[in-house]
Amino acid sequence: MRTSRPVAGSLAVLGYIIMIVPILFVVATSFTGGRTLRFPPEGFSLQWFEAALTYDPFISALVSSLQLALIATVLALAIGIPATLAIHRGAIPGKGVIEGLFLSPLIVPELVVGLALYQQLMIGFGLANFETLLLGHTVLMLPYAVRVTGASLALADPALEEAARGLGASPLRAFFTITLPLLRPGIFSAGLLSFLTSFNNVPLSLLLQSRDFRTLPVTMLDYVQQSYDPMVAAMATLILAGTVVIAVIAERTVGFAKIFGGINR
Amino acid sequence: MRTRTPALLLLPGLALLLIGFLIPSVVMLFAPPGVTAADIFGRLGAMLSDPYDLRIIGRTVGLGLIVTGICVALGFPIAYLLARSTSRWAGVLLALAIFPLLLSNVVRTFGWLVVLGSNGAIGQLLTGLGLVDAAPQLLYTELAIVLGLTQLFLPLAIISCYSAVAQVDAGLDDAARGLGASRGRTFWTIVIPLSLPGIVVAATLVFAGAVTAYTTPYLLGGSSQRMLSTQLFSYASVTIDWAGASATALIMTVLVFLVSGLSSLVARKGATS
Repeated sequence: MRTSRPVAGSLAVLGYIIMIVPILFVVATSFTGGRTLRFPPEGFSLQWFEAALTYDPFISALVSSLQLALIATVLALAIGIPATLAIHRGAIPGKGVIEGLFLSPLIVPELVVGLALYQQLMIGFGLANFETLLLGHTVLMLPYAVRVTGASLALADPALEEAARGLGASPLRAFFTITLPLLRPGIFSAGLLSFLTSFNNVPLSLLLQSRDFRTLPVTMLDYVQQSYDPMVAAMATLILAGTVVIAVIAERTVGFAKIFGGINR
Repeated sequence: MRTRTPALLLLPGLALLLIGFLIPSVVMLFAPPGVTAADIFGRLGAMLSDPYDLRIIGRTVGLGLIVTGICVALGFPIAYLLARSTSRWAGVLLALAIFPLLLSNVVRTFGWLVVLGSNGAIGQLLTGLGLVDAAPQLLYTELAIVLGLTQLFLPLAIISCYSAVAQVDAGLDDAARGLGASRGRTFWTIVIPLSLPGIVVAATLVFAGAVTAYTTPYLLGGSSQRMLSTQLFSYASVTIDWAGASATALIMTVLVFLVSGLSSLVARKGATS
C-alpha cells in the first residue's frame, strides 16, 4: 500500500487487524503448555491437540458434521442443478418468481428457520433430528446451487447444446457431454461453498441437536460455556488448518474470486 | 426441452422448499402449538412497550447500525486500495480478506475470548505496563459484540465494495485529478457516488447479518448483553415460550425484510435517475 493515502491506509490496517489478529491468538494459545486460556501462553506443548483429538464429544460431533455437510451438499446439488436448468433454459411462466423462491432461504434469518423446523418438524411431527438437520441444511444450500451454477449456465452458450442435438445426440447425451462439463466450475464452487456453510453452521443447527447426533460448532459453543481450557483453541486450530487446505484447493482449481461470485449476492 | 420437463425438474426443489422451509416458517410465525396469531400480536405489543424488551430490540438495532457503519468505513477503503493497487501483494491481501468467510464463525469469534478475556492479551498488556491495577472488563460488553461482529462481517463489506469500485473506470479519477481536483475531492465526488450501489449492498448484508447473528452475542455478550437472537434461543429452549419466540422471530424477520426492501428501493431509484 502506498503511504500517500494515510487515512485510507490506516483504516485498512485497522480492518485487517480486526479480521485476522484474533485468529492468530487462537492458534498461539492452542500450543500452550499451561492449563488455562491466557495470553501470553505458558510454554509450548501439543497436549491440547491430543486432548481435543481424544475427547469423544468433539470427535463424534466432527464425524456427524462432516456426514451432514457431505450429504446435504450432494442433495442440494442434485435438486438445485435440475431446477437451475429449468429456470434458465425451460419455457416456463413466472421464472422470476420461481428463482426468487429458490433464493428465499437467504433472506429469512437462519435462527428463525431453525426454530420453525425444531417446533414444527422435530416436536410437531416427531422427525428425528438428523433428518430435520438434513432438510434444513439442504434448503439453506439450495440458493448457492441455484445462484452459482446459474451464473456459469448463463455463460454457457445454448447453441452448443443445440448443435449437438442437430448432429443427432439425444437430449440426455447432449446435456451430459456438452452442458454439464461447461458447468463443472460452477458446480464445484457451489459444492465447496455449500459444504463449508453446512459444516460451519450454528444458527440453523442450534435448536436441532440431540444426544445422539450433535454438530461440531454447537458442541464447541457448549463446551466454551462450561469450561475455559485451551482444548477448544486446539480444535479451532485444527478446523483452521482444514479450512486453509480447502481454500488452497479452491484457489488452485477454480480460483478464489470465482467462488465468491456466489457469496457476493 | 419438452413442455413438461422443466416442471418435473423444478418439482423436487419446490417440494423441499415447501416442506423444509415455507410451511414450517409461516406456521411457526403465526400459529405455533397452543398459541393463536392474536396472542403473538398481543405479545408483540407488550414487547414494544416493555423497557427490558425494548432495550434488547434497541441494542440489536443500535449495535447493528454501529457495526454497519464501521464495516463500510473500514471495508470501503480496503476495497478501494485493493482495486486501485498494481502491487502483486494486492491479490494476496484480497485473498486474506476473503478467506475468513470460509472459516467457522465459532473459530473466528473464539479469538476474542483470548484477546479480551480477563487473562487475555489486552488485559495482560495493560496490567503488565502498570497502566491499570486490574484488567478491565472487556468481555461480555457491547464493545466486545461490536468487535466480534465487525470481524465477522467486514469481509462481506469488502467484497461488495470491491466489485463496485473495480467497475469504476480508474481513468475517471485521473481525469478529475488532471482537471485540478484534489485527491480527497476526487474520492468524494467521483469514486464514492459511482460505487454507491456496492456500498448499499454492503450495508444491507452487514446489517442483516449483524441483527440476526447468534454466535457473537452468545460468546461475547453473554447473558448480560442480550440481543434478539440470544433472547429467541432462550424463549425456544429454556422457557419454552412459543408466543415470545414467535414474536421475537417476527421482529427479526421484519427487520431483515425492511432493510432488504429499502436497499432494493434505493438501488432501483439509483438505476432510474
